[in-house]
Amino acid sequence: MRNWMSTLTLNQKLAAGGVLLGAVALFATPYPGSRVTLDAKELALAVGTESDHVEAPELAAWVIESRADYRLVDLRSEAEFAQYHIPGAVNVPMGNLTDAGLGRQEKLILYSDGGIHSAQAWMLLKAQGYKGVYMLKGGLEEWKDRVVFPVLADNPTLDQRSRDERLRSISMFFGGQPRSESAVAAGGAGGPGPAMPSGPATAKVAAPPSPAGGAKPGPVKKKEGC
Amino acid sequence: MAMMAPFFKYGMFGDETSLVVAFLIGIGFGFFLERAGFGSARKLVSQFYLNDLAVFKVMFTAIVTAMLGVTYLGWIGWLDLSLVYLVPTYLLPQVVGGLILGAGFVVGGYCPGTSVAATATGRVDGFLFVLGIFAGMFAFAEVYPLVKGFYLSGAGVAMTIPGAFGVPYGVVVFAVVLMAVGGFYGAGLLEKKFATGATE
Repeated sequence: MRNWMSTLTLNQKLAAGGVLLGAVALFATPYPGSRVTLDAKELALAVGTESDHVEAPELAAWVIESRADYRLVDLRSEAEFAQYHIPGAVNVPMGNLTDAGLGRQEKLILYSDGGIHSAQAWMLLKAQGYKGVYMLKGGLEEWKDRVVFPVLADNPTLDQRSRDERLRSISMFFGGQPRSESAVAAGGAGGPGPAMPSGPATAKVAAPPSPAGGAKPGPVKKKEGC
Repeated sequence: MAMMAPFFKYGMFGDETSLVVAFLIGIGFGFFLERAGFGSARKLVSQFYLNDLAVFKVMFTAIVTAMLGVTYLGWIGWLDLSLVYLVPTYLLPQVVGGLILGAGFVVGGYCPGTSVAATATGRVDGFLFVLGIFAGMFAFAEVYPLVKGFYLSGAGVAMTIPGAFGVPYGVVVFAVVLMAVGGFYGAGLLEKKFATGATE
């Protein structure tokens, strides 16, 4: 064996190595592809223990603290994103989900209008081996109801008063306004509800929402090509 | 945390750094072209006289090396191939473009990269070739409105051999390796047969 090897020139050895690597590559599947495999048990567990989502007030606290250890992903269309988005969010419309360059190791918080799109996206990303994917529970609807326009008690008890005070400041931070219990009851469920603020969030009391979108531009598309 | 490539797409460096990276890769490319003797038009055109097929061998070796590297990196999950940019395919325009480039190669003795390498080493013919490239680019830009229809004819999406023919990726890889090894063997035979020093 040794003798036979030593009769080969370097080029012949390299060629043999290349053929060997090529032969092994016959079985290679270098593209992850669009087929997915799911660990049903693991996913069911995550859903059952509710460890798959983040609640709106929790996310609000992260935004206020300017935490940077997560990436907030807005799954709605570009137009909707331009109109309003949670501060710090990046826009990844559903169709672009798998080629948006989201990191598999990043902590991703997904949100859409309700909960359906983010749940579907959560499933797809989980299936593709993304580790830290979470959903904003209830989506923008719940964000709106619990953070931007929280409902405060009409006749607060002592306990409720401090809670309401906190809700009010959080709401103001995101350019919203608390609603009173009675007003919500009078408005009924059918009403369109208050308009979302369009200006960027500031710690100051926000000015009344202006019609022009003050939203930050979406992620810059990187140049491609040779 | 596993290392993930392409680095640029994963945001490991930005636009500015990517220019520095491109510069370094370009310097390396030019260096190895020159070291392989490809800064000389004589060396380059001798492949057309079939007495020195170094260009074919070097380029095909580079292709096979890169292909195997990309395949294995993708396989073990270090490189996300779906994020690697593929040039859109315009089949007929690209065939015509290839023929024009090949004709220019035969006539001028350089291809675009090697002409720059030759210019860097002070070769006048390389420098004139580069001037010709810019003249051609200028002329093309001027007639672009007339040829735009043809230039953009075809699907315009990136076609791959595994995708177009439904062949498994690994089979294509293996076939290209065999093609290269067979080509090198054949090139050796041709070199022996035409070893007359015709261009010296």
